[in-house]
Amino acid sequence: MLQEESDLSLIIAQIVQKLKGSNLYSQLERQAWASLQRPEIKLESLKEDIKEFFKISGWEKKLQNAVYSELSVFPLPSHPAAPPEHLKEPLVYMRKAQGSWEKRILKSLNSMCTELSIPLARKRPVGEQKELLNKWNEMGTDEPDLSLFRPVYAPKDFLEVLINLRNPNYENGDSLSFRTHLGLIQVPLKVKDIPELKECFVELGLNTGQLGIDDSTQVPPELFENEHVRIGQKVLAEQDSAAAQQYIRQGSPTALRAELWALILNISSEPEDVLYYEQLKTNVIQHDLLVDSLIYKDVKLTASNDDYYFVFEDYLYQVLLCFSRDTSVLSHFAYNSASPPKSYIRGKLGLEEYAVFYPPNGVIPFHGFSMYVAPLCFLYHEPSKLYQIFREMYVRFFFRLHSISSHPSGIVSLCLLFETLLQTYLPQLFYHLREIGAQPLRISFKWMVRAFSGYLATDQLLLLWDRILGYNSLEILAVLAAAVFAFRAVNLMEVTSLAAAEAVLADLSTLKVMPLLQIFLFATVT
Amino acid sequence: MSRVLVPCHVKGTVALQVGDVRTSQGRPGVLVIDVTFPSVAPFELQEITFKNYYTAFLSIRVRHHPSAHTPAKWVTCLRDYCLMPDPHSEEGAQEYVSLFRHQSPSMTFPKWLSHPVPCEQPALLCEGLPDPSRVSSEVQQMWALTEMIRASHTSARIGRFDVDGCYDLNLLSYT
Repeated sequence: MLQEESDLSLIIAQIVQKLKGSNLYSQLERQAWASLQRPEIKLESLKEDIKEFFKISGWEKKLQNAVYSELSVFPLPSHPAAPPEHLKEPLVYMRKAQGSWEKRILKSLNSMCTELSIPLARKRPVGEQKELLNKWNEMGTDEPDLSLFRPVYAPKDFLEVLINLRNPNYENGDSLSFRTHLGLIQVPLKVKDIPELKECFVELGLNTGQLGIDDSTQVPPELFENEHVRIGQKVLAEQDSAAAQQYIRQGSPTALRAELWALILNISSEPEDVLYYEQLKTNVIQHDLLVDSLIYKDVKLTASNDDYYFVFEDYLYQVLLCFSRDTSVLSHFAYNSASPPKSYIRGKLGLEEYAVFYPPNGVIPFHGFSMYVAPLCFLYHEPSKLYQIFREMYVRFFFRLHSISSHPSGIVSLCLLFETLLQTYLPQLFYHLREIGAQPLRISFKWMVRAFSGYLATDQLLLLWDRILGYNSLEILAVLAAAVFAFRAVNLMEVTSLAAAEAVLADLSTLKVMPLLQIFLFATVT
Repeated sequence: MSRVLVPCHVKGTVALQVGDVRTSQGRPGVLVIDVTFPSVAPFELQEITFKNYYTAFLSIRVRHHPSAHTPAKWVTCLRDYCLMPDPHSEEGAQEYVSLFRHQSPSMTFPKWLSHPVPCEQPALLCEGLPDPSRVSSEVQQMWALTEMIRASHTSARIGRFDVDGCYDLNLLSYT
């Protein structure tokens, strides 16, 4: 077999293996059995007839969407000799750095545990379980004493780790030269330049209609908006994930967004999914986790203080507390450079049969984590659907924003992309900011880690996240960060301190993201 | 035809450098690795597998004995095969690589490696994807591979995070 054929067979085998455990597989099996009753299914041509039936009834499309989803999320199978760690992260020094960072987080959590004498997990007494069940829909009214809890880490702590990342095989030279990185990130990852970004984001070009630009009040809707909405409705009627992903690159109409995102993420709310969510809710009621307090604290500090999102406070608890108990999230660690923290049942230290993951989903929330969920509350009001969408967004995109990896959508690459774009296309601004001690990444890092949630106005944020889904990449975050600096360049050139630079960039709520991106990519003289 | 690992001896790297190693400032750009095969039985080399560590281009030369009477000569099987598309960045720097016989059009093997079957034209460039129905019938042959994948991780959802209803934990473990 030639190499490409064996690769394709391997991919097919892997996808078949993955889908065999899914609801879709049992549904397809049931449908196939049921179809035997139909007159058009003949024994002589059984296989072909059933395939035809699937095509007509729309089940083939569902299968296509599932396969497309797997291809988007899972990396291509790597070389047979490559160990599992290689799939998580191919570069050894990055794996080591992620390991050290995780160890720091674990130590921090352990010391919080011992200092406050609070167990990592405890079973709730029956009375407390009843109480929590009663106020499940208004957990925001609770005012527990969280003063002793502190977030495990904040984005700026993580930035310091990234700044200190070094490739042991990379020689920069002792003296400062052209080649020395002027920015904070010192690892030589490959990032795209503007010509490559233009090719990649071709649908954002000046000659293509965009929601966020061509739907503004001055533009007559007949020119673009009406037709775009019509196409969107057609895409939804066809229920085609790949078509939806292509369509949404030009933005999603507000009325269609919730359904489009669900189609792209391949989320359909089957009864099994609602039941699964209810099971997670039961787990929350039964066990109290230390990370719950971290979640409470985070929501109170961030989303509750935000003008746009405070109304969704209760939803945030309902999603995040369940998220921590969801063991299906563990499967994403196969392609995440991070690993879930491990613990042992009390008294059984070292015995593998009593080893468990903590929290059950392996994800320890940090300061600002709840902001990944908040914008979704505008789109989805049914808790189990909201939950599914968030979980899928996390295991496809958000996890890359807080783990150390060489992936092009990983936070390290985004930081380097941002710095490189600024240095290359706004060298004067970059140099000036460096001189006054205001390294641009120190300001933009928090925007990118949160995918701009909490910094942009919500309608603008959703237009941005449309493109994240459409291009299946987070690179647009780095491009937007650079575009924001370009937009405020004149003011930034006049400041003389880091504090003043931060003040210029403190309020992004009036920005319109699509014009900024378009101008930066397609209308700037390079 | 089953495939077996051929025992080989990989010698240490030797830098190719002009001038005196001690006084020269520059780092060598070319390193040579000698690989010898201690076993004498003839074999048909199908695949070379290795893990890269920051090598940008690879050339392979084989020492060829046409017959017992003519002197041995070196034949280049692969020249400047690109492992890292951009040598100044991390792409491909630590990847696992396999090189197959069909990838080298001029790959001839010494007689003691046996007579290779005349290979098909190397189809490295895209001729379009292979026919899916043919490929899916080959999935049967790949079943052994699927078993291997199944053994490595389960795709079924694990619901439980506790051990027999107990989730009373010690501290987090560092190992």
